Amino acid sequence: MEEQQDRIAGFLPEWLPPGAAIVTALAIGSTVMLLAGAARQTPNEKTMWTFARPHYLMYEPRIAAWNKSGRTPFDLRLLSLPAMERRMMASFLGDVPSADVLEVERRGVSRTFGGPVESVGFYDLTDKLKEEGLLEAINAPSFSPWTTRGHIFGLPHDVHPVMLGYRADLVEAAGIDVSKIETWEDFFREMKPLMADNDKDGKPDRFLLNMWETNQDHLEVLLLQAGGGFFDEQERPTLDSAINVRVLATITTWLAGPARVAADAPNFTAAGNKLKADGYVVSSFFPDWMGDIWKHEIPSLGGKMKLMPLPAWEKGGRRTSVWGGTMLGIPKTAVRTPKDFDVLWEFCKELYISDQFMRDLYREGGIVTPVKKYWSDPIFDEPNAFFSGQPAGRLYINLAPLVPNRNSSPYNTFAMYRTVDALVKLAEEARATGKYDMPTLESRAKVYLGEAQRQVENVLKRNVFLSGGAS
Amino acid sequence: MSIRVARFLGWLWTRSVLLIACIVTVIPFLWLIASSFKSNEEFFRSTFLPMDGRRIAWERLTTEPFRRLFNELDFTNSLVNSIFLSSVTGVVATLCCAMGGYALAKFRFKGRGLCTALVLAAVLIPAPLIIAPTYQLLFRLDLLDSFAGLILPALAPAFGVFLFRQAIVSGVPNDLLEAARIDGAGEWRTFVTVVLPLVRPMIGTFLMITFLGMWNNFIAPQVVLQDPAKFPLSVAVAELRRGYYNDYGLQMAGTIISILPVMILFLVMQKDFVSGLTSGAVKA
Repeated sequence: MEEQQDRIAGFLPEWLPPGAAIVTALAIGSTVMLLAGAARQTPNEKTMWTFARPHYLMYEPRIAAWNKSGRTPFDLRLLSLPAMERRMMASFLGDVPSADVLEVERRGVSRTFGGPVESVGFYDLTDKLKEEGLLEAINAPSFSPWTTRGHIFGLPHDVHPVMLGYRADLVEAAGIDVSKIETWEDFFREMKPLMADNDKDGKPDRFLLNMWETNQDHLEVLLLQAGGGFFDEQERPTLDSAINVRVLATITTWLAGPARVAADAPNFTAAGNKLKADGYVVSSFFPDWMGDIWKHEIPSLGGKMKLMPLPAWEKGGRRTSVWGGTMLGIPKTAVRTPKDFDVLWEFCKELYISDQFMRDLYREGGIVTPVKKYWSDPIFDEPNAFFSGQPAGRLYINLAPLVPNRNSSPYNTFAMYRTVDALVKLAEEARATGKYDMPTLESRAKVYLGEAQRQVENVLKRNVFLSGGAS
Repeated sequence: MSIRVARFLGWLWTRSVLLIACIVTVIPFLWLIASSFKSNEEFFRSTFLPMDGRRIAWERLTTEPFRRLFNELDFTNSLVNSIFLSSVTGVVATLCCAMGGYALAKFRFKGRGLCTALVLAAVLIPAPLIIAPTYQLLFRLDLLDSFAGLILPALAPAFGVFLFRQAIVSGVPNDLLEAARIDGAGEWRTFVTVVLPLVRPMIGTFLMITFLGMWNNFIAPQVVLQDPAKFPLSVAVAELRRGYYNDYGLQMAGTIISILPVMILFLVMQKDFVSGLTSGAVKA
């Protein structure tokens, strides 16, 4: 190799190493290739960005039809979620245009709500929604993640009620009747036979719930279901509320100790999917969008799963929660004239409010529309093969009006991780001390959540726009 | 214990440790290669190669992920984009940094100290801090969604200018420069025929560093480039991972495509790279 390099080096200038010569040749070659292949496509007048491939595939034909109808043409671009959020934040902070319409996920949107309300990068849609009666037409909780200080900045895409998806093949083989289950206590009691140790290794063969202390989404689902959460309606932190204390203490008994019933089979990972396919966990939280993901990632579970409403925290309590959320927003930089806004608004409505969209959204993603007038459509009564023939859409719609509000604080993620920290500390302490009685767990949860509350308050205090410090 | 036995035990111990380290390093690559030839369903059925009893089930492996990458997802385009961005930035940035370093090292001019201090200060600023202002500047210059928007800000990194300055200060004697000038060489000729050959190891090293830096650069192309036809491999591979569900075989195949060219290049350039890194390590 060295001899060969020396021979090559003989043809090169003294200062140019052979490797550098190769890189120079690559530079010249690739420049020629790019110049030869450069055919500039004229972009359409307006652009929309989305972050999810299923959405992209769903919108593509609809936008092609829109463009053919003679209206202002749009280009649709698919970006990964971090790419979209980075570009969106860079363009909002730099006050330069990005896309004309942005489809954004909940956590990305809340990051834009950190400053004065008039400086939010999205166009305020509150008056338009009122004027067109959309505030009443759309399920009210669906607006909550896009609302800050009374102003709505997005058109909701979904409702995302959460149910419990369980391994019907295992549950029915064990002769368990899920109709008897109303509360979490009922659920764990009735399902207990599934935790047998048939292989005699001293550990249960299965666990009843896919949940772990480090999973922030699961924790938020359970807190919101119980009526807790991280902020109140006025966006004041409520991490150490009595409800949160009780939920954290109860969850700890699920995760650790003699009555442990939960195990970790993380979502969106190969390892987690393998554990689910093997039946290591009997049930998982299922927002309406999750079914489509399992159908693609764990096709072997098709026909083996069923849905049931979330067991309530107490008799008569809420049987659902909420997980995720997406909106369409119009950046202010895209609206230079009132006519611009009209074009973009019509496009947004065509995409999200039409009956065609409602059908596509359900058929291709299993997602229920937030537009209430469509809920009676027979499409939602169709049997779903993945869920053993259950009418999944109807089951979710029955729960849609009960979905809790999500907050839109830019500190939601921070508060969520501080709460997760509190749960992790609580579970570790319980494992170390062996104390799993509720009074002890609740008193310790109060301490850890109190610390978390103070951390969030301290961060919030620095923001004069949200802490009330601004005049 | 005789010296021969002790030497043998030392030899055995070294080889054993190296073998273990080698296995630990190689296993993820083997897993990556095996996974890139699997369908999504097969990915969850077997950890390495699919087995049918004690036999390797070769028939369950597929080249479909690679076919999809090049036919459906146009990875060839991303590969050319990556090569273009990395090589052009590498070559031009090396030249610019060498010239900048030469100026700071060997020319006496007003404000030289301030310039050097500014270069040093620029090294301290973390890149994520300047994403938003850079985005704004690129927008004002109409360089968003263009290769120039990525290449121009990377042409004279402070780190490179300072690296060459140090190499030239310690490796290029003033007497040699004086001699070249007395012999009638102009500044450009002195730079090319006297300075560059003396910092040759640094050229290879810095070219490799810049090439790899741009090849692996993810955040800047993700923010600056908007047309998928312009995405380099780093972004194209990340785009394979979707918010909701993943095709793991496809992701693994994409990862292999993205690491293979730099692995080959590193093998070719390792002599220059190592000599540049160690130059100056031992006083002559």
